[in-house]
This record gives sequence, structure tokens and C-alpha cells, in this order.
Amino acid sequence: MSQPTPYIVADRVCKSFGTHQVLRDVSTHFNTGEVTVIIGASGSGKSTLLRAINRLEPHDSGTITVGGVPVTDDPHTLQQQRCEVGMVFQQFNLFGHLSVLDNITLAPRRIRRTPRAQANEQAMVLLRRVGLHEHAHKYPWQLSGGQQQRVAIARALAMAPQVMLFDEPTSALDPEMVQEVLDVMRELARGGMTMIVVTHEMGFAREVADRVLFFDQGRIAHDAPPAAFFNDPGNDRIRAFIGRMGD
Amino acid sequence: MLIALWPHHWSRQQRSNATLVSALVLMVLALALLGQVLSFLPEPIGPNAQAFSAGARTTLWLTLVSGSVGLALGTGAALARTARWTALRWVAGFYIWVIRGTPLLVQILFVYFALPVLVPGLNLPDFAAAVVALSLNVGAYNAEAIRAGLLAVPRGQTEAARALGLGRFHVFFDVVFPQAFKISLPPLVSNFVALLKDSSLAYAIGVVELTNVGNRIQSATFQPIATLTTVAVTYLLLTTLVTQISNAIEYRFDVEGRSR
Repeated sequence: MSQPTPYIVADRVCKSFGTHQVLRDVSTHFNTGEVTVIIGASGSGKSTLLRAINRLEPHDSGTITVGGVPVTDDPHTLQQQRCEVGMVFQQFNLFGHLSVLDNITLAPRRIRRTPRAQANEQAMVLLRRVGLHEHAHKYPWQLSGGQQQRVAIARALAMAPQVMLFDEPTSALDPEMVQEVLDVMRELARGGMTMIVVTHEMGFAREVADRVLFFDQGRIAHDAPPAAFFNDPGNDRIRAFIGRMGD
Repeated sequence: MLIALWPHHWSRQQRSNATLVSALVLMVLALALLGQVLSFLPEPIGPNAQAFSAGARTTLWLTLVSGSVGLALGTGAALARTARWTALRWVAGFYIWVIRGTPLLVQILFVYFALPVLVPGLNLPDFAAAVVALSLNVGAYNAEAIRAGLLAVPRGQTEAARALGLGRFHVFFDVVFPQAFKISLPPLVSNFVALLKDSSLAYAIGVVELTNVGNRIQSATFQPIATLTTVAVTYLLLTTLVTQISNAIEYRFDVEGRSR
């Protein structure tokens, strides 16, 4: 394998909500082609780091670079970076007034000016990949949670991003729908996609991740490959956390 | 009501279009034939049929022009009220506060009588003055209806749109506005129907609209029951048709099939 190249680099990133400091001097990097799983208790800052990477939540200090370019408020570079960084949300956030097909084609048509017919064709390829090509003309409310989340993944993939961010993608799903979403993500990882996944699915972390980060009170408390991480947790806090998640 | 007439296998869009077209045709027919239908009625309606129908046309025209301007004004004011600039928010808040806190009749009289004094040379004819006052009035109410719609669109929708790399313009026009508009539609229709009826206040500055016509005829013929009933029924006809049009629009936006 070639030398891993860092695609996203965070350097001493801090972020506070009022007096509550959510990120404390977080420094790390995410390499191209790697799947990183971030775990930790709620409120430990893991989602905030994801949201800071595409500036849905601007950080207070430190720097984040995507593809070597700092993430700032500059609308032009920010828009370009967001096209390179796909995001999947806990609550799916599909556009309720648009059909499945239009949800997926909106960004390519508006940003890349892809003609509608071509955009539809590409969307159908993506929908087939997530197993939903028969639902292209339905509206989000007609789909189950798992189906909606798979559409949301297809929507993010439509811009052909370099990296995909997943913010607790299965936390809002009924248990029987979790697997269908994880299957799609597993398939993506197998295809070599760079992924950063915030999740509580320990099985997924163990099986798919190249690297597991443990967040605790706004800091990265542990950073190891999954085998080492789960077999030899750095300290008791982590061991207790993994035990509670009871995979 | 009209929507239920169409065949079951028609799509939402076809039904909506069919309703829109037929309601508009009915509206035009009603206005064109009102004079002829009324002319068959006995005294005092028959001989004054043309005056009634001209009055109804003026009322509808007044409503359509003020309604369109008011919609634009309301959208602008709603955006200003939710804008990032404090000055802009303040101006929009002031406008809504003043308009909603004063009677429409006073506003109409003010535009017609006081404005020419304040701004020399700005002598608006009665119809134009009524349009200005009615537009400003309905604009303030529309602003609050649209603002309610804008605020009701979940944050996750804009976040998802921004995360896709969409610019501000597209986030607003492709994602936020269509959903906000759908939510705002019922109160906007209420405002429009209220406007159609409130346009009768333009009678105070001499606009010859439906109410003015009816009042003149009843005082000339001493037959208030027949004339005022005709006026009321004509308003009812106009508001019913307007409601049909708005139902068709609402139905088209209702992709979730929630209002059956």
C-alpha cells in the first residue's frame, strides 16, 4: 500500500457553547481511504467535530484543513469543500417536498449544472446501489426510516465526495432497520471510500473501521486500530463504555 | 369542492390544474355574465345591473392588484424580519407594528388625504390610493404568515442543503421557500379573502367598487334589502371562487396528502 495521505487535518480545535467547552484542543488527521469510527458518550464532542469539518458549527480556535485548504467562512472555498465532503445526519433530513429522485439530483443539477436527464440517470445508479431504485418517484414520508437514511446516503454520494461523514446514522432507527443502513455503509467502505463515522454500533466499528477514536469530555482519549482498541482499552473509562454498549 | 369532481386516476397535478383552470374560467364567466344575469332581475336590480357588474370588476381588480403587491411586500418584510442585519429587522418590525396597530380605514384616508400634504405633488387618484393603502395593509399581515412558515421549516433542512454545498440562493429557493410557502398558504388565503372584503372600505375615498355601488343604489331607490343582498351574494360568489383557486394550489403542494 502507498503512504497514507492525510485528507482532513484538525489542529488544536476548540469549540464552546456558552461556558460549556465541547472541543478542547483536538488534533488529529483522517487519511484518504481510511474508515475512522468515533465513539464516546453523548456530549463528548464527537458530533461537534464532524459538524465543524463542514462548518455547520464554526470552531472557535485552531485550524481544520480539508484537502490542504483551511475551513473558513469564505463562501467560495467553503462551498467547494462541502461538495467534497458528504454528510449523513441522524435525522436523515431529506427534503420533504421533493421526490426521492429530486432529493438526489438537486445538488448536482444546481451546483454542477448537470442536465436533468443525466442527473436522473446517475441518481438511478446510486439508488440501485442502495437498493431503492423502485422507490425513485416516492416522497420521503412514504419510506421507512431505514429507506430514508439510504436515500440520504445516495443524496450525499451524488456529489461524488472525497469523504463521507456519518453523524450517528442509525441512532434514530428501529432496531430492525439498522442493519440495512450498516450494510450500505459497509459496501461503501469496501469500495475504498474515506469515511468518518460517529456511531454507537460497536460491531460495525470492530468489523469495518481501520481506526477507532474515543472521545471523552471534548478530548480524544484513545486512538487505536479496532483490534487493539477493543481487546486492550486504554483505561477503565473506555472499558466501562464498551461494556455498557454491550455489543 | 371542485377537486373532488375529477376522475380518481388523475394525478395530483392534473387535478390541481383542472381545478385551477375551471375556477379561473368560472371567475371570468361570472364577471362577464354578472351584468346579464342581474338584468333579468326585477327593480331595483335589473335596471342597475351594469353598475353592479362594473362595481364587482373594480372590487376584484382592486383585490388582485393589492393582493399581488401585498404578497411581494409581505415576502420582503418577512425576509427582512428574519435577516441578519439589525437595522433591516427593525424597519420591518416597525412597519408591521404600525400597520397592524392602526385601522385600515385610517390608513386609506391617510394615503388619500394626508400623503399629498406630506409629499407635495403626490396626488394619487382614488383607485391608486386605495391600492397603496390595501397593499401596505395586507403586506404586513402576509409578512407574519410567511415568517411563521419560514420559522416552521426545520433547521435540519437548511443544514442538509448547506452540507450538500448549495449556495445561499439555492438553499432558500429550492429548500426553504417551497416548504415555508406550503405552511404559509392557508393564512395567506385568509388574508386574501379578508382583503377582498376589506376593499369595500375604499368606498370612503370614492372608489366606485361593489359596496359603493350598492349603497348608492339603495339610497336612491329606498330598497336596501334587495340591493344589499345582491352586494352580499356577489361578494360570496367572488370569495367562493377565490377559495377554489387557493384550494387547488394548496392541493398541489400537499405531496404528503395530509389535507383530505
